[in-house]
Amino acid sequence: MKTAMSKRRFKENSEANRECISQVQKILRERFCHNYGTGKLFGVEHQYRHLLELLKRTVIHGESNSALIIGPRGSGKTVLLNHALKELMGIKQVQMNLLEVRLNGLLQTNYKVALKEITRQLHLENVVGDKVFGSFAENLAFLLEALRKGDRTSSCPVLFILDEFDLFVHHKGQTLLYNLFDVSQSAQTPLTVIGLTCRQDILELLEKRVKSRFSHRQIYLMNSFDFKQYIRIFKEQLSLPAQFPDESFAQKWNQNVQHLSGDRTVQDTLQNLFHHTKDLRSLHLLLMLAVSNITVHHPLITASDLHEASRQYRMDSKANIIHGLSVLEVCLIIAMKHLNDIYEGEPFNFQMVYNEFQKFIQRKAHGMYNFEKPVVMKAFEHLLRLELVKPIERTSVRAQREYILVKLFLDSNQIMDALQVYPNCPTDVKQWAVSSLSWL
Amino acid sequence: KRRLLKRKVSPQEVFFDKVPGYDTDIPVETIIKRTTVIPLLLGEELPITLNKKQTFCVKQSWDGKCFTTLSSDTFLKLKEASKKGGNSPNSSSSFTPSGIVSLLKKETESVVQSATKNDELEIQSKHGDSKSSVRKKRCSQGVANSTRTPTARKKLQLNGMYTVICPFSSFECSMFCTFFCNFSLQPLPGTPKTPQNATPEIPRRSCEAQKPVTILEKARLRLHVSAIPESLPCREEEFQDIYNFVESKLIDGTGGCMYISGVPGTGKTATVHEVIHCLQQAAENDDIPSFQFAEINGMKLTDPHQAYVQILQLLTGQKVTATHAAVLLEKLFCTPGPKKKTTVLIVDELDLLWTRKQNVMYNLFDWPTRKHSKLIILAIANTMDLPERIMMNRVSSRLGLTRMSFQPYTYKQLQQIISSRLNNLKAFEEDAIQLVSRKVAALSGDARRCLDICRRATEICEFASRKRTQEIVRMAHITEAIDEMFSSPYINAIRNASLHEQIFLKAVLAEFRRAGVEEATVQEIYRQHIALCRMEGRQSPTLSGVMAICSRLGACRLLLLESSKKYLHMRVRLNISQDDIMYALKDE
Repeated sequence: MKTAMSKRRFKENSEANRECISQVQKILRERFCHNYGTGKLFGVEHQYRHLLELLKRTVIHGESNSALIIGPRGSGKTVLLNHALKELMGIKQVQMNLLEVRLNGLLQTNYKVALKEITRQLHLENVVGDKVFGSFAENLAFLLEALRKGDRTSSCPVLFILDEFDLFVHHKGQTLLYNLFDVSQSAQTPLTVIGLTCRQDILELLEKRVKSRFSHRQIYLMNSFDFKQYIRIFKEQLSLPAQFPDESFAQKWNQNVQHLSGDRTVQDTLQNLFHHTKDLRSLHLLLMLAVSNITVHHPLITASDLHEASRQYRMDSKANIIHGLSVLEVCLIIAMKHLNDIYEGEPFNFQMVYNEFQKFIQRKAHGMYNFEKPVVMKAFEHLLRLELVKPIERTSVRAQREYILVKLFLDSNQIMDALQVYPNCPTDVKQWAVSSLSWL
Repeated sequence: KRRLLKRKVSPQEVFFDKVPGYDTDIPVETIIKRTTVIPLLLGEELPITLNKKQTFCVKQSWDGKCFTTLSSDTFLKLKEASKKGGNSPNSSSSFTPSGIVSLLKKETESVVQSATKNDELEIQSKHGDSKSSVRKKRCSQGVANSTRTPTARKKLQLNGMYTVICPFSSFECSMFCTFFCNFSLQPLPGTPKTPQNATPEIPRRSCEAQKPVTILEKARLRLHVSAIPESLPCREEEFQDIYNFVESKLIDGTGGCMYISGVPGTGKTATVHEVIHCLQQAAENDDIPSFQFAEINGMKLTDPHQAYVQILQLLTGQKVTATHAAVLLEKLFCTPGPKKKTTVLIVDELDLLWTRKQNVMYNLFDWPTRKHSKLIILAIANTMDLPERIMMNRVSSRLGLTRMSFQPYTYKQLQQIISSRLNNLKAFEEDAIQLVSRKVAALSGDARRCLDICRRATEICEFASRKRTQEIVRMAHITEAIDEMFSSPYINAIRNASLHEQIFLKAVLAEFRRAGVEEATVQEIYRQHIALCRMEGRQSPTLSGVMAICSRLGACRLLLLESSKKYLHMRVRLNISQDDIMYALKDE
């Protein structure tokens, strides 16, 4: 009776737990993966204020402007802009008073496409449904005329957001940028151009006429936080929100996160990542890997989860391929490594590799790996297909396969590291790998 | 079309046309005083009571290929509208569909002659009888007819007295009706507005833009490049030169070219606009003969040949293709006219009009030399030696030697520009203005830059003085604004890079020093990187990790990289000087 009850209670418990776990997974996964452009902001209050003031002036006073948001990938440029826009939309005066045009350098690859997209997003009168009528020249004239007719006090301000701004620079003659900046510097429809880019040399790319018309406002995002703040971000990103349905579980979870942030190994793991990159996206990826380990029987993240995730994250992709190779193929790679050492990275061909391999067999292995040449050739071609070696120039059909010059796409450090973990590696092969002269 | 319909058409039936935009559309109101259109279901007869001459019924629609019954939606709308019209037939807002009669066919010619309503029925019957003959006639007349249509149309519009109803009631069922739904202001489904009639416009804002309140806000508004000052200081000489040039040509009634050059932001376009403005005022006062004015900008054209299209459109309002426009302009400028006005044409960003054959430039500069052209061209570009550098001899010789170059502003001039814009508004310290002017004059002499810095400085000032009382812009604010705009971002970027990214840069330097060449492969740098890590007692990264670091630095353009498919044989160069990196990394 008693056991049955406890069993049932356990069952209910685990049922509730399962619910909790799936909730946690859902919330955190959404935070790490889907929140592109809407996540939280960390340590950019100054830039945020600057951008917000600028946008406010555009909307409320009808002041034209232009600005660039510059920062490395994953530094939160889009997030910053989206946050500012969200706050802006909260102001009553703004809601119906802003037209937004979003362009992306990867999508609008030339002026013509960009122009159609602008016309479409502005719902100008030459748009019916989703189609833009008229030729390229007509569209441009139409758009410019529309913008010219407006004036500061009565027209609706237009906000242009140019994502991947650096790609617009490569449009022929930079005419799109010229025209946008020109409107923003003349008494026409109020227009603000915000460009997002990761290139630090962006101003040098602008043509002098375009550059003169750009207002030179630059907002830099630099990931300029230190490790202490990084830990705080880690905590914040992993904590459950207050409105989590199961309060006790959330409390337990958050306490655990608090505890984790003080843990030595966790700090080491994070420090390691922090030293590699300050990009928050890689932190998200790490946490994502760790969170995936959570199950009903393992409801809280542990330090070892994070450590394991970091190990997975730091895995060398090319060296991983070596683990799956046959001993013969590993031997060939070692032979190539020695050739690289001898000839200082000059390209080699199959015959040279085969000779080097033969030397090893004759001296050391006594026919243990005595394969026919075609078999060795097959192994070599497998390596070619895995792109661990690559021909230095395009191979013609007629070229003899043995004499095609190739290069090894592995570093000797990678090879040595991979051999350390290679399963059942024969000792003499290992010795040979350390030194090509070991058979002497 | 009659065959398609497969039934008899009553004289008062019209069709709902779904195909928009015939060139020959004219509003029915211009022909008949007022009409009523009643929607009917197929098979219904027009009620006898309404069988007046000015009432029409619509049963079917035509979409360019075949007849279909009216969609229920359209039907209801029309019905509603006609009821509205019926209730208040006398009010001006009553349903008077300014339907558009497409005068595709030319029976109208004969119809125009029908002066009274009474004749109408006769003519109709005549039409009915001579239908076949009319058709034959039409076939034989072919093209000639279509050219005559516009004149017929003009006649109709001018003499509203004519009662022309026949196009509707003709038994030739080639007449259709398109309706503008003036009454409901919403376009009918299936009748997209024709792009030809679209007006370019940005929607208006729902509430007025806020007026500037504080001194700083007022100053900012005046300092915006777009703000049009009352006068252009520091360009009086250039202004006078251009003014005199154009004025003398205007009075003489001849043509000519002037080439104006200068670096960006020296007030070329603004000065020329000012000249035109003054000339226009003078023309209004009858001091000088009146003239036509047009402006094109090379950057605002999709193709150099579009210049013709734009010029023609600005001068005559015609819209034609580029080649045709060139012919028409040629005719316009080369034929003598008794009362021909002089044309002043501004060509901004001239260098963009360059083509391989240079025929656009050639034509532009050739026209003023013609005897009857009366064309004055003011060409603007950035480079002083543009005519020598990119133009063929025959083009540059036609451009002539009337040149003017705008020098970059000196600091005194910039100072004057700011002061005149501020116009006694106490927003800036004198020293602050001087600092800005000197700084910009030393850099580029670009007035836009100067104004932008001032504008940014007012923002910084406003931000700093939020809590305290109002302040004016001081030196410190200007310095901050200048730093913000012109400081090199690289040093800061390196200082904020992650540890391994910094070590990688050090490794690059070390490898360069070792090899003595300013280029290295990732593999070589990787070895240096590992050595550096060992020296500092750190865990060395994997090659994948280093590749990631390398591509991140490449994306910021601290490094210049080859395509990444070469993996560890990818070559790396620095995009900044080695000293900058040393300086950025040393301070820590």
